[in-house]
Amino acid sequence: MITVHTQYQARFREITRIAGESFELAAPLVAELATAIANKYGPQMESLLIDRKTNELNASGTMYLDSKGRRIYMEDTLADGETIAFLVGIAGG
Amino acid sequence: MESRLLRVDLTTGEMRDELLPHALFERWIGGSGVNNWIMWEHFLTHDIDCDPRGPDNIFVFGVGPLAGTGAGSGVKGRITFKSPCYGIFGDSAAGGKFPYMVRFAGYDHIAITGKAPAPVYLYICDGNAVICDARHLWGKNSAETHEMLRHELGDYPSAAHTLTIGLAGENQAGIASVVSDASRIHARGGGGAVLGSKNLKAIAVQGSGGIKIHNPPGLLKWSDGFRQKIDSNEAIYGFKRRGTLGAVEMYQHIGGHFWRNNQGCLFRGEEVRSDNWVKKYHKYSEVCSADCFIACDGRYKIDGTESEKSKKYAGETFRRPEYLTTASAAGALDVRDWSEVAHWGKVTNDYGIDNQDLSCAISFVMELKQKNLISAHDVAELFGKQQRLEWGNMEDIEALLRNVSLRDNLFGQLFHDGPYWGALRYSEMKGQNFMKYAIYGKGGAAFTEEMRPFPTWMNNMAVASRGADHLKGIGLIEKFQRRDLSKRYFNGRTEAADLSIPDLKGASTALLENQVALINSYGVCLFHWMLDPAGFAPEEYYGPAYANITGISRTPQELMQNGERICNLEKAFNSRLGLRREHDTICERWMHEPTTEGMYPGKVAADMFETVLDEYYEWRGWDKTTGLQTQSKLTELGMGDVAEVLAADGALARA
Ligand code: SF4
Repeated sequence: MITVHTQYQARFREITRIAGESFELAAPLVAELATAIANKYGPQMESLLIDRKTNELNASGTMYLDSKGRRIYMEDTLADGETIAFLVGIAGG
Repeated sequence: MESRLLRVDLTTGEMRDELLPHALFERWIGGSGVNNWIMWEHFLTHDIDCDPRGPDNIFVFGVGPLAGTGAGSGVKGRITFKSPCYGIFGDSAAGGKFPYMVRFAGYDHIAITGKAPAPVYLYICDGNAVICDARHLWGKNSAETHEMLRHELGDYPSAAHTLTIGLAGENQAGIASVVSDASRIHARGGGGAVLGSKNLKAIAVQGSGGIKIHNPPGLLKWSDGFRQKIDSNEAIYGFKRRGTLGAVEMYQHIGGHFWRNNQGCLFRGEEVRSDNWVKKYHKYSEVCSADCFIACDGRYKIDGTESEKSKKYAGETFRRPEYLTTASAAGALDVRDWSEVAHWGKVTNDYGIDNQDLSCAISFVMELKQKNLISAHDVAELFGKQQRLEWGNMEDIEALLRNVSLRDNLFGQLFHDGPYWGALRYSEMKGQNFMKYAIYGKGGAAFTEEMRPFPTWMNNMAVASRGADHLKGIGLIEKFQRRDLSKRYFNGRTEAADLSIPDLKGASTALLENQVALINSYGVCLFHWMLDPAGFAPEEYYGPAYANITGISRTPQELMQNGERICNLEKAFNSRLGLRREHDTICERWMHEPTTEGMYPGKVAADMFETVLDEYYEWRGWDKTTGLQTQSKLTELGMGDVAEVLAADGALARA
């Protein structure tokens, strides 16, 4: 079991209605975390988070960073105590 | 495809309609591509070294073939000219309803030369154009001018839509902008100064015509599919509410802001780094162009109860600031109250001035004061009086905005062409080198985001044809670390998404410049591509829409080549003006001063800069030593005629 912390911004926060939380995961995988979040918050979150055609994290307009600022992918492993930020992926304007 | 150009000579008052030859569309799609070509041809018979504020400069407005057709991909008009502030290629895009109203009035492009003897505006209505007296509009700000013209012209055959200049344009401040329908702004490059120098206060248009569509059922089907992709995208749902302001929190997380002249990369104000904007000020979302399935625009109204400072602006309403407007105020100038940030967006719009250049110029002088590099005597000399030059002091900031717009004191006279030229002039005047505090790329003001951790963006700031710029390339693959896109465009390689290495960063710059140029030539909004509902490949998903509208079928490769051609023509324009590799450079702070905060501390551009630039030239097929284009690349792009001109000017790489 590992514990992973999440931080939510923008649309992620609108759906979860919280700034962040912690998950206990049986396997230290991003896929496990994504499934746990999608299961907890339902279809809107699932569609925001997961591209069901590729089973990858949804890339369009979103970004997921670990505490070192690296984008995470479904196949990545997670360290115990890691914090993952769920952000928008836009620039400029 | 039928496309009409209106030529206007303000010196003689002559106007001429031209049907653009079909052959033109073999090489250019429309929008920015055709604008560029019109300007290129103009400077084959006029001196390219002319004063950009003189009658020989040309101002071209243009709109691409997808705009206003109901395709739903947004509408952007484009202005193109020789830039008065940077002296090189200049162009700028903006939304609003003006661009498609030009099409409804029968034109796709307007080319203006000469200089009117007294202030005038150009009025176009359903295929007819007249030059009208504008002395009563001179001295009015951009919004007042828009309202007066609307009132004057009435609602028949449609409401009037306008391009106007404010006081900055009238005074030919180099960083003056052109305002579309009172609230969307062609900000970069100084188009407002070009219009001001021509005594052209505004262009007003009314139209009741339509746009010929080659295959209406085909376009409807395409457009419906595009809408469904957008509507089913949850990320876009979030974007509709916040627009680009959504980036505030994201950049606060990664350290992507530009704080106090980029001395830092995080906002300090509690309020402005939160999502309070949406809670307190956002009144409703709207669409900027009526042909957009996203509708990211919004409207604010200040009640005066939101904060102590908001009392001053009670009742003020305007469009929601974009991220960069926010970044220039809350970041570059350290303004910490949302109502003041919003107000900054409105006043820069009313004066008609680029808030990126302006905030960089003001924050330059504020940093000199902060570091005691200028004395009270120097301040009095610059401003004609004592000026506090306090970070975040909106009263001071507004006073400086006025100085630059009106050029009414030494500071305004030195800095009206932006921070680079301002710093250079001030350094020369004082016999002291202050360039280290000017933030720029290729002479253009920084766009107010932290650049140093992002090698593609750094390269983009150095090579962008109109000076440091985020809208000529947009380094999305690396900034959002999109391995999927890196793999797709670079034969399965992932390095373009890896921030820690230089590999494929020059290649990404070239790729993204080509894609953005293609989008700009369609005349649509960049967000529909950036948010990626249809797979981030404008050469693929816009191709069928283009074919349904114009009857011209192009393969994705041909469309990408079209984008590449546009970038090459802009490059050729600058090469004719003498720009070489040494001009593709960035400021000292970005190059050598490490970032000290955020997720990517310790980054300097110098670590990768030359390697990335070399790779960029390689991918472009240009000469690495001089930065000049080669005969073989231009021939491959069907631009042998351009190569001939460059060769005659000594601006083509030697074989
Ligand atoms: S996405 Fe936003 S900026 Fe682009 S056309 Fe639509 S409303 Fe305008």
